[in-house]
Amino acid sequence: MTERLRLVDAVIKYGDIAAVDGVTLTANAGEMIFITGSNGSGKSTLVKGIAGLIPLSSGTLVRTPRMSYVPQYEDADRDFPARVREIVLTGTQKPGKLFATRSDRERADSAMKELNIYGLADKEIRTLSGGQLRRVFLARALCGNPELLLLDEPCAGLDVQSHDTLFGILRGLLADGCAVVMVTHDISDIDGIPEGRVIRISHGRISQDISHGGLNHE
Amino acid sequence: MNDLLEILTYPFAYRALIAGSLISVCASILGVILVLKHYSLIGHGLSEIGFASLSLSSALNIQPMYIASPAVISASFIIMYVSRKYRTAGDTAIAIASSVALALGIVISSASGKSSSMSSYLFGSVLAVSEGDLILSLILAVIVIASFVILYNRLFIITYSEDYAKTLGINTAMYQLIVSVLTALVVVMGMRITGTLLISGVIILPAVSAKIIARGFRSLVIISGAISFAAFISGLIVSFVFNIPAGAGVILSNALILILVKVINKS
Repeated sequence: MTERLRLVDAVIKYGDIAAVDGVTLTANAGEMIFITGSNGSGKSTLVKGIAGLIPLSSGTLVRTPRMSYVPQYEDADRDFPARVREIVLTGTQKPGKLFATRSDRERADSAMKELNIYGLADKEIRTLSGGQLRRVFLARALCGNPELLLLDEPCAGLDVQSHDTLFGILRGLLADGCAVVMVTHDISDIDGIPEGRVIRISHGRISQDISHGGLNHE
Repeated sequence: MNDLLEILTYPFAYRALIAGSLISVCASILGVILVLKHYSLIGHGLSEIGFASLSLSSALNIQPMYIASPAVISASFIIMYVSRKYRTAGDTAIAIASSVALALGIVISSASGKSSSMSSYLFGSVLAVSEGDLILSLILAVIVIASFVILYNRLFIITYSEDYAKTLGINTAMYQLIVSVLTALVVVMGMRITGTLLISGVIILPAVSAKIIARGFRSLVIISGAISFAAFISGLIVSFVFNIPAGAGVILSNALILILVKVINKS
């Protein structure tokens, strides 16, 4: 099984407080992992650490470079003057690549079509609703053709149809060998892919790891 | 009109026209990034640090650019570093650095007995643009516009969200450094014409006006450059006709465009 992510004994500290405290986690190709936990449990910090946005205080992180991350909130101005197409196209960018190619533009178009936002392509992002914006971020993530997809509360603000579309897309990605790590506070999201692995975080530690119907306590 | 055309036959006038247009367009393009990233005050801070450097170089009888360029580039980098690291401390850092630098510049120029010659740097002067400045402006314009074209996608992503840029593996610090250096060079070049007190307006105002009407990042950059060019030309003409400092004319033209854009957009 090809490993997409290996996190060993990871600790992330804010000052003296460990928001993530000794988490060990692997994600293989085609594996779906749900990370749940109460507010402030450290689940979003954990995913940000995996995405490389917060440095690990200690521990080891090894992951595929083809990673896409959809944050719960983007650190961008809500009224940033950019069109949907411009934002989605950025998903095709990677180090060492300066210009978007024709195939990148086609990939962006196809991602927008998959998420039913192609009609919004020329709209400015500041005119979108929260749910539409979330679909823009998802389309952008798909453009990176990821082997590891990190999602932080991706279902927040999505209507039922978009929710179903998202899980349909995730199933396709998993079948293609992408590993998906999804943070969610809503336990019903797990029904979207019931064969997924569920990890519960409590006080920065893994308190439950439920894999394929089995229950492991770490 | 004939008088105006006659003025343009003078070397100082066409030098000011060409150099000023190039610097204004460069400033407004960089201004888009600075406005969107909430670094609007950086041009003001840097120009006052530039004033202190110019006072020092004047007192020491050294070519101004030899001191001003490295000093302003270093200050630009430090201010952006502080702004990024301590997010809310950016404005404070600029306010402290600019007021201390201005005070230092005044002390140096008055101690060296060259206060009167420094007033052209404070308020700007079209007569200050030499043949060498014209060539430097041309080189600077080529560097800024080429950097923007080649690094457009990177600069767009970093301006939009640094966190997102990091997840794509983009070296955000390096691009920040590029923007800092280019901004510093534009400030150093621009303050000869518009003056240290007004160069920040040339950087910021066109981007603010363009942001009201632009629909997307690319159009924002283009409109900002176009507004800046138009404001500079009209400001310079006004300054020639009414015999007022060029910097003030350019800023007032920019302000008028901003008001017009606001009114038209509302209606």
